[in-house]
Parts: sequence; C-alpha cells; structure tokens
Amino acid sequence: MTTALTTISATASKAGVDLLRIVRINEEIKSVVGVAFKINIMALNAIFLAKRAGTAARGFGVLSNELRVFSQDLRNCMSSLTGLIHGCVNEVSLVLQDIRHTRLLRQAVEMAPTARICQVLAAREIENDRHSVRLASLRKQLKRALEDAFQMVELGGVLAKSAKIEAAYGQSFAVPLAQVSGEFDAIVEEIRSSLEALRRSAFFTGK
Amino acid sequence: MKTTKTIFQDGNHKWVAIVRDPEKPNFLIDTNEYLVTHGGQGLLLDPGGAEIFPAVFSALSAEFDPSTLAGIFASHQDPDICSSLALWLEFNPQMPCYVSWLWGGFIPHFGGSAKTFVTIPDEGADISLDGLILRAVPAHYLHSSGNFNLYDKIAKVLFSGDVGAALLPPGQDGLFVENFDAHIRHAEGFHKRWMGSNEAKRRWCERVSQMDIDMLCPQHGAIYQGADVQRFINWFDELQVGIVAA
Ligand SMILES: [Fe+2]
Ligand SMILES: [Fe+2]
Repeated sequence: MTTALTTISATASKAGVDLLRIVRINEEIKSVVGVAFKINIMALNAIFLAKRAGTAARGFGVLSNELRVFSQDLRNCMSSLTGLIHGCVNEVSLVLQDIRHTRLLRQAVEMAPTARICQVLAAREIENDRHSVRLASLRKQLKRALEDAFQMVELGGVLAKSAKIEAAYGQSFAVPLAQVSGEFDAIVEEIRSSLEALRRSAFFTGK
Repeated sequence: MKTTKTIFQDGNHKWVAIVRDPEKPNFLIDTNEYLVTHGGQGLLLDPGGAEIFPAVFSALSAEFDPSTLAGIFASHQDPDICSSLALWLEFNPQMPCYVSWLWGGFIPHFGGSAKTFVTIPDEGADISLDGLILRAVPAHYLHSSGNFNLYDKIAKVLFSGDVGAALLPPGQDGLFVENFDAHIRHAEGFHKRWMGSNEAKRRWCERVSQMDIDMLCPQHGAIYQGADVQRFINWFDELQVGIVAA
C-alpha cells in the first residue's frame, strides 16, 4: 500500500474510533440526563418538607430553594449537552462519509491522475476540512459544556452537604430532612462521577 | 435529523421507526428505517442510502446504543435500502447483513467483506435476535426479484419493504394511515409500475392474509394498522400490476 493510502486508512479507522467514543459519551450523557431528571422531583420534595417543618428548619428551607434553582439549571445544562452531543454524532458520521469518498477518489487518482480527477479530489478535501473544522469546534463546545456542568454539579454537591448539616437542626423533622438531603447528595455524587469520567474521555484528549 | 417513533413496546422488545427528516433534499425519495430491539440487541431493517447515513445514525443513537446492533436486514438490493452499508460496517465491522442469496454478489459493491453477508434462501429463514425469532418472509418480484419481508410474530408487525409504499405529497407525512381511501391514491401508481408480477402478488396476498398482523410497515410512506392491514391486502390483490404505458 502506498503512503497516501496508508494515511487515509489510518484516518478512516481514527474516525471509526471517534464515532465509537462519541457514541459512548452519548450513552453516558443519556443516563446522566435520566438521573438529573430525578433531582427535580427530589428538590420539590425537599421544599415540601421544609414548608411542613416551618420555623423548625428555616436554614433547610433556604437551602431547599437553592436546590430547586440548581435542579432547574442542571436541567437546562443537560438539554444543551444533549443538543451538542447530537451535533457531534452527526458531524462524526459526516466525517466517516467523507473518508470513504476520499479513499475511493484517491484510488482513482493513483490509477489515472488526470487534471480533472485531481481537481475533484482537491475539492473533496476542502469539504473534508470544513467538516473537520466544524467537528473540532463542536468538540470544544462539548468539552466546555461538560466543564460547566461539572462545576455546576460541584456546587450542587456543596448545597447538598450543607442541607445535610442543616437537617440535623430540624428538631422533630431531623430524620426525614436528613433522608431527603442524603438522597440528594448521593444523586449529585453519581452525576459528578459520571461527568468526571466524561471529561477524561479520549474523544477530547485525542489519545 | 430524522426522528424516532416507538411503534411497539413490550419491555425491551421494541419496534422503532426512524422517519421524516425535514432537512432531507426533495430529490431523494423519503425512506423509513426500522429498528427491532430485544434483550440487549438490535436489528436494523433497511438502513437506507449512503447520503442519509448521518441523519439515520444520529437519530438511532438518540434512542439506542448503536454499538449493540447485532445485524442489518436488507429486504433487497436497491440503493435506498442499503447503500449506506459500508458506513455502518465502518462503525461495527463484525455486523452481519442478511439478504436474499440472489444479491449476495451484488450488494458487496456497496461495501462489506466475505464474512458480512448471510444469504437467505428463496423460501425464507428465521433470524434470531437474542432469542426473539424474526421470520424473513418471501416477497419475490415485489418489486425486487429477490425480496423479503420480515415478520415478528410476537409484536404482530410485518416489515413489508416496498410493498405498501406510498409517495406522499409534501405536508401529508403522518406516520400512520388515517384515511385509507385518501392514502391509497398515493400508493397506486407506485404499485402498478414498480411491482412486476401479478402471480407473485397473488401469492403474497394469500400468504400474508393468513398471518396475524397489527401493523404493516412499508419502507416508504405511512404504516397500516388494524383493519387497514387487511384493507391494503384486499386492495393489492385486486390491483393489476406490471403496467407500463410505453
Ligand atoms: Fe426498492
Ligand atoms: Fe424502496
């Protein structure tokens, strides 16, 4: 095989691997979105409990409102992640299409290097570059969105831990408040570790 | 991007239709792809043309993990059926493609290796999807000379390929047939011209009318359900096909 063809097949398998990676990220994000959905219900539950506890759990009441705002922010954040990941899946599959076309054109150029076919190949490569640039930009945006989500979830973790502390001052409501804030904390922790793993995906590091 | 619609579900046994891409250019005939899932596996039916691969792949990924696809079923050899094959295999090189023996040497022009193709004899075959038996039902000469439908006895769904296809005018793109008489006008020209054999058609109608079918799912147009399934079979039985003015 010539060098040119070796290069193109290496690129092809890289795009295949990229697509596999982005599919893995997509699957993980889908499950995080599912978990994040539960948080909304938990936050409403916490507010409801805080209202019942009234003055006995004033500090918890303030925090439960914060948790609700956090859960809404998290939902918005998840929907933008979903949009970006769909964009990435689409773009990587376009790159895969490009690679197949390019490989066939390169073979034709090798066999019959006429001016016209070389022009066609050059045009093809410009189009490929355009897709690669768009993919690189989406990749960056997705990485940033994941970072933002991670920061947000870290903040959510702090809120949940503070709620756990406040729950102890909830007098006769201390037990249910501790339970609700404990569940909240566990879910936030689950999302946090998923996002942590996603940030380190080879799709972003390129290794 | 295309959208996915779950048309049957019983636990993890599902039929998902991948349909209607608003961004698709009009000169490409619109196609329906279907995904059958059972256990942790999926079988993709008529994955479509190479041009629409990104739209189908991204829609499918939103619903299902594409790395767990166990195979591709190609009803026949047309480009709108499986010219995307090479791209699917690029992603999942081990995946088999089930196809009529007649096209075993033709479809590799779209891609694939010697190991890719599992050929189906004329009388049909069972395909197992994690224990769910799907039956490849002969539908030769309707329109392709080596052509199969795929029947799921449990879900009572028949994937009918080009049989039942309708070329719907813009704006009339409901997923299910709502008014049979109005709908069938858009199917008539297609069946008269694309279907080549009245004899094959009669035998298909006889065979299929003995099957228990809740949904008849074509590769183009809308899905027939309930009483419209038998209505379609009766209509097709009456229609004279293989007609060309020239
Ligand atoms: Fe066809
Ligand atoms: Fe077709």
